[in-house]
Amino acid sequence: MKPTVIAEGVDGLFIQNNRFNTTLVSFNFYLPLAEKDVSVNALLPYVLTSCSQKYKTFTELNLALNMLYGAGLSVSVSKIGDAQLIKIAISVINDEYSIDNEQVIQKATDLLMNLIFEPKVDGEAFCETDVEREKRKAREHILGEINDKRLYARKRLIAEMFKGSEYAVSAYGTTELLDKVDGTALFNAWQNMLSTAYVRVQLVGKTLPDNFFAAITDKFSKYNRKVNNGYKNLTELKPRTEINNVTERLDVAQGKLVMGFSSDVWGTDAYALTVATDIFGGGTYSGLFSNVREKLSLCYYCSASANKNKGYVMVDSGVEFKNAACAKEEILNQLKLVQNGEFEDNVFAASKKNILNSLNSSYDSLGALDNWYCANIYCDDIKAPEEVGKIITDLTLEEIISAAKGIKLNTVFMLLGKEGE
Amino acid sequence: MKTQIFKNDILKENYSLATLDNGLKVYIMEKPEFNTVYAVFGTKYGSIDTAFSLNGGKTVKVPEGIAHFLEHKLFESEDGDAFTKYAKTGAYANAFTSFDKTCYLFSCSSMFEENLDILLNFVQSPYFTAATVEKEQGIIGQEIRMYDDSPSWCVLFNTLRAMYHNNPVKIDIAGTVESIAQIDDKLLYECYNTFYNPSNMFICIAGNVDATKVIAKISSLVKNTAPVKIERITPDEPETVVSGYIEKNLDVALPLFCFGYKLNLKNEPTLYDTVCFDVLLKIISSDITPLYKKLTDEKLINDEFDGEFFTGRGYAALLFDGESAEPKRVAESIKQEVLRIKKEGIDKECFEAVKRDIYGGVIKRYNSVEDIVMSFIDSAVCDYNSFDELEIIKNLKVEDVEKYLEYLVLENTVLSVVSPR
Repeated sequence: MKPTVIAEGVDGLFIQNNRFNTTLVSFNFYLPLAEKDVSVNALLPYVLTSCSQKYKTFTELNLALNMLYGAGLSVSVSKIGDAQLIKIAISVINDEYSIDNEQVIQKATDLLMNLIFEPKVDGEAFCETDVEREKRKAREHILGEINDKRLYARKRLIAEMFKGSEYAVSAYGTTELLDKVDGTALFNAWQNMLSTAYVRVQLVGKTLPDNFFAAITDKFSKYNRKVNNGYKNLTELKPRTEINNVTERLDVAQGKLVMGFSSDVWGTDAYALTVATDIFGGGTYSGLFSNVREKLSLCYYCSASANKNKGYVMVDSGVEFKNAACAKEEILNQLKLVQNGEFEDNVFAASKKNILNSLNSSYDSLGALDNWYCANIYCDDIKAPEEVGKIITDLTLEEIISAAKGIKLNTVFMLLGKEGE
Repeated sequence: MKTQIFKNDILKENYSLATLDNGLKVYIMEKPEFNTVYAVFGTKYGSIDTAFSLNGGKTVKVPEGIAHFLEHKLFESEDGDAFTKYAKTGAYANAFTSFDKTCYLFSCSSMFEENLDILLNFVQSPYFTAATVEKEQGIIGQEIRMYDDSPSWCVLFNTLRAMYHNNPVKIDIAGTVESIAQIDDKLLYECYNTFYNPSNMFICIAGNVDATKVIAKISSLVKNTAPVKIERITPDEPETVVSGYIEKNLDVALPLFCFGYKLNLKNEPTLYDTVCFDVLLKIISSDITPLYKKLTDEKLINDEFDGEFFTGRGYAALLFDGESAEPKRVAESIKQEVLRIKKEGIDKECFEAVKRDIYGGVIKRYNSVEDIVMSFIDSAVCDYNSFDELEIIKNLKVEDVEKYLEYLVLENTVLSVVSPR
């Protein structure tokens, strides 16, 4: 699929799909991932979606959203390869479902653009009360990451594994970086985002309203756009000669064992890595589920996932403290079996079927479709899920085994209890 | 067999409800434009069914957590486990046990008929031995310990423990390591033969299927067991709470809280009651209310703040949960706001905005085959027609909802807090 160029470095994508009774519009801003900017950039969409020139308070804004039949305004901040992605989206019911045949899609889009382009500012700074309110919530969000030990352990592994690189930082940054943000810094980040980010505007729904992209062209015409493509040269995780072992102790009843691996095969087209990782620890037929969890009962959950853009594989498991060493050994043993091709043909077939099922299912969710396309920024040709399905179907056993052979242990993070310290 | 077809002109949707001769209820919505079919085979049997009698026989008391244990064990049949069978079709499969139901589900984008065969087959083929039961005790023990580390799980169950004297809703769904140790194969068969009778069960499907053909297939594959009479023995429950405050320490950054009103309803809540409580909840605490603004301005809540009308067979509560540096001040503010609304009445503008929000939410539900199936499950368990919700919300008046304020009694509240160590 080829996007429509709507301004310098601003692409529009209409993802036509007839099955939904709602429409989703998303503005996606891609900025080079840099530790020094990550917190101010992450805070920005939260301040932008809390009020604006038109909606002076969050109460007024939320009231307007309610009146648009509960239009869902959402924000997310994530890492896509070496980019920090700031997503601001709105989903709303289609006009035909409104009580008086209102033009709700247009109204929701106008509201979204009002928030992004006409924020409540005081000179060249965002209002201090709005900034401080959102800073407090962001700080509580960052601190609260420890509440979910599974996510916490995964985040810690990434930080350890990518130490020294910009990718080590979490998408939301740190409380120390957040503390330095003020109304002026945020204003500058807003101007920077609108002038230098690569922007993808996506609409998922039945029809593209008249002049939809033209209205956005107009908004960007006020900016002297010069896109910073610093994130485009993807860098992969480098293999280590010595394994990095990190153990942390907290007051927990169950341990977490998270293992990170580098991969020789990486990049946007590294689909063989996706399948190899799935056979290793994807579905119920995988070595990690069927052996480590079911047969040996070493973990309550144990699965593997791959990040093609950054060339790493992560194994995530919940273990009893006493089983941690044994589980680690067995996980590595399961990887070796995949690398040696010691798995049954029906596991290879099951894995392909499972991946195809999930690709086909993405057509049934507005959010999944939106995310699919906005993750596709590192290649000129934007592939639909079914096109990737065809590539996966054609992959050979040799290609999978070859990809598996390039997976090498890099970092092990263990979260254990304080007892027996 | 009796088949009814329900239509809704606003949603432009319809569904079939077939009641088979053995009492099994089958709900199907055809969604031909979707790739995925989502299907659930469920029973009205959950963690609260700890004492019962079958066909007027003697009362049986069973260990806490047995419904969940049974769910785990049912995946194993004499001819192998269900996951292995699903692996051949590429379907996603899972199961869950809640307070009042157990559900087995799959979603697939191909081979629907084969997947339906697998589902009907394994749920109807119990196979328990002393050895397999013992192995499962280890696996579930690990799952229980995982919940022990989950602050959000602890804060909810502590609320229920402080709210209910005798009602089994207060027990953990998975039981305790001690209670599941008492489970054996005989007890599992006894529970299975009581609650997995077709007259106590339901099948809910949404997706690209032909309802008539699917109903015919199901009626040929389900066992023609005679309906049973189940008497559930629920202990008497006083109107009061056990304790107004409960606290636990875990490794969290900011205290988590759950504040709730125990609702002493005279009868099981109808769909109308549920809609009224949902509206009331949003009028008290959603992001358009004065309470939400006050709590945000006073730095007492963040985006985690949420509310729920929590109900099931024999219990009902209005719950507010979130993270806060000062949970007691949050609870006090909620109490004061309820008193204010009781005195001054419901704000008309807020009421209309909430109605629109809920109306849009109902429409959005029909975007997702999973959400459609979940609403069928509620329909099956509570015996109502989910299409009625839209009409109820459209016709609702302020005074209808104000009547429900009387159930919110100051004395019957509980505050549960999980604090940092």
